[in-house]
Amino acid sequence: MNQSARYPPGSPDPEEEEQDSAIASIRAEIQKLQRRKRTFTSSLLSATSVQKLLRKPPAALTSMTDDLSPLARAAGKHSDSNHYRIAFGATAFLFKDPSPTTNDNLLGVRLDICARNGRFAKPYYVLLRRERVRGKDEKRLRVHRHTIPTFISIAKLENAFLPFPGSKVQRGEESEDEDAEALKPWKGHGARKQDLRGFVRELRRELAAWHMRTDAVEFLRERLGLDEGSQSAPAERLSPVTDTGVVSLAPTAVEARYVRLEWEDGRVGRFKLSNSGLVERAVVIGDSGRDKQTEDTMTGGGGKVEGLLDRLRERGPSTV
Amino acid sequence: MARLKSVRAPTTASLPNNLRIPSSTPSLAKTLGKLSRQALLELALTWLDDRNIASFPPYLQPDETNGDEDTLPYPAAETVEEVRQAYEGLQDRKGGKREVLERILEGDWRHGISLRQLAMADLRYMDDHPASLRWTALELSRIDARKNATEKVTPDDWSGNVPRTQASTFVKALQHEIAPLVKAHYHLARSSTLPLTLLRIFIIDSPYQSPRQTPEVFADSSRVVYVAFPDSCPFVYTSITATTGSKPAGPTTSSVATDPRSLQRLVRDAIPKALSRPQERYTLKPTSLAAKNLPTLLALRGPGRSTAANGAFSIFADSAIEGSPLDPRPANTVSAEEHVRSGKTMIEDKENEISAEQSIESSTKRKSADSNPSIMSPTSKKRRLAVDSRFGTAGGSLAPAPLDRLDVRLLDQPVPDDEEDYGSSSTLPAVSLTFTGSDVIGGIRKLAELGIVDPERMPSWMTGEEGVSMAVVRGGNRLRKDV
Repeated sequence: MNQSARYPPGSPDPEEEEQDSAIASIRAEIQKLQRRKRTFTSSLLSATSVQKLLRKPPAALTSMTDDLSPLARAAGKHSDSNHYRIAFGATAFLFKDPSPTTNDNLLGVRLDICARNGRFAKPYYVLLRRERVRGKDEKRLRVHRHTIPTFISIAKLENAFLPFPGSKVQRGEESEDEDAEALKPWKGHGARKQDLRGFVRELRRELAAWHMRTDAVEFLRERLGLDEGSQSAPAERLSPVTDTGVVSLAPTAVEARYVRLEWEDGRVGRFKLSNSGLVERAVVIGDSGRDKQTEDTMTGGGGKVEGLLDRLRERGPSTV
Repeated sequence: MARLKSVRAPTTASLPNNLRIPSSTPSLAKTLGKLSRQALLELALTWLDDRNIASFPPYLQPDETNGDEDTLPYPAAETVEEVRQAYEGLQDRKGGKREVLERILEGDWRHGISLRQLAMADLRYMDDHPASLRWTALELSRIDARKNATEKVTPDDWSGNVPRTQASTFVKALQHEIAPLVKAHYHLARSSTLPLTLLRIFIIDSPYQSPRQTPEVFADSSRVVYVAFPDSCPFVYTSITATTGSKPAGPTTSSVATDPRSLQRLVRDAIPKALSRPQERYTLKPTSLAAKNLPTLLALRGPGRSTAANGAFSIFADSAIEGSPLDPRPANTVSAEEHVRSGKTMIEDKENEISAEQSIESSTKRKSADSNPSIMSPTSKKRRLAVDSRFGTAGGSLAPAPLDRLDVRLLDQPVPDDEEDYGSSSTLPAVSLTFTGSDVIGGIRKLAELGIVDPERMPSWMTGEEGVSMAVVRGGNRLRKDV
């Protein structure tokens, strides 16, 4: 009676439930181990020694090369492309647009960027399309799709490195350029060559700079002991700097171009991080106005952002 | 709390935060009544928080008590602490939301709910119901006024057109823009769930500090305009419906129209001006996207990776096909879910990840049970592959960005034009399609999976590739410039 009241007929038996969860956890364990096995297999297959052996088989094994497992071949190919991705950071590939109305072969560019913790961020992609220039016989590249965060302006980069005559990029100056082109056809857009290398180089530099800025802010936060759940293991965590008087430090936006600081005595500050990791400008305001000395300390001494906290500590908690 | 009515002069200041709306206003009870019991309790406790108590003081027992106080249903408390305990007590036990609402309106804030309190309640409702409003995404683009705009852009300035401004500066500038025309109350808050800053503007057409309108007007939702600023991207979302279609309301008798619609238009026009600075002017441009869901807008017009890669290209946005260059496994042996997840957590083979994996694993398993490739017929397997290649991860469970409405105008001629001058554009029939539902793209994907829509032949706008909710299509391709 009591039993049935506690467990209405619709709800499952608790024992059954327990077994279900046990089965589920065992399944997950199996899956995890299988995944592990796969990782190890492919690591082993793509290991340099194995691959070397496969490429230059000893005389006794030459007969084997023909019926070599496709798995081994795939592993070799994959490790090769991984080497390119690690070493150069920008790799190209071909992508077929599945849309039936365009049916284009797109040129894809993959950008890999290594973050501070030695891991790679999700790869960034730019897909370029060949388009015929109006009234001309040549084909030029245009950015079709991309996964670049919006605070990096693809339109500006495209305009500078991959000029496309007559394109209506969302910029006011475009129409004037067209006018100028009409007046001086020898000086117009059409004369400029497209520079895909330059485009990719600048784009990658901008992305890497962004990652470095976020890493630098993360590093400062870690040193201040503000990041509890940071990814680095406790053993390699840096000893926190405590006597700077800074109680809060955070980027103002995803772009991590400006960083906001707060001191325990109520002063607030903000500094701008340059692409090369320097504190470009700094403003500190307390109750009695600007604190120019702290500002100078922040931008002075070479301005490296990594040394910011050390510089602030040397100066000591100031009295405004 | 009655104000001195004798001094009433028009000013350009904004409506004060502490302007109180009488608690007996029926529409106020209705507005607050939309919130859940939990939300109401949390809101009341926020008002009673030490940092806010000065702005929202509850009604406390006056020093010299009148006799009739005790007869009221909610006797006034003596200290703030007492009020706080009352709400904490309500939080601990179960009950209806009626009692909380009545306690707020008739008890602790019987002297009135301030405009700021109302704004906080509205924003709280929005946090709880992200699909309660229809949002339009607009793009901020810079107007370059320089006559001879030199081709050279400074070498390391590839940052986008994101104007940098401080919230309070922006509100001040906005106030400066619209003050001569309307009176407004501004409330700026950070969304608790999304990377957004929300601005709630309440507008009224009166130049006076304490307007003489009926208190009903303060809870009129048509007088409220929301503007959302997503982090680090040149887009702005507003709750103002696009007014491009409607004509400016004819020859108005008064010089300034005072209906809520035109007041909203005033605000919309003022936003880019308030963001502009000398030598740096901005304008708002439509981006053909309106949706009920803020997360959708963030996915399609946000700072992230998926803004310019949707539909078939969403596999790139989610990096669902390739892993990190340190991954020794060939890409095709790893499932898409695993790629997406490994990119998200960036940690593999960590013990603490198992629990998260389990839940995903079990959900994918349930899905794959009915779509196991081994038991599928070859045609349906082929179809599934085609659907996957067309939609990528869009419309699936991995990256939900539901569109509630999709309007498409087709400009194609119904018959191939063998008769050259059959007719001018006036006789060309315009075919307009409107899809509505909770998730339009997901629905089309379902249809394709069932074989009702041919996944190989359908045009790309059906896969959500363009990331718009309004499109003009010719020959299967979306025309960039809307006609």
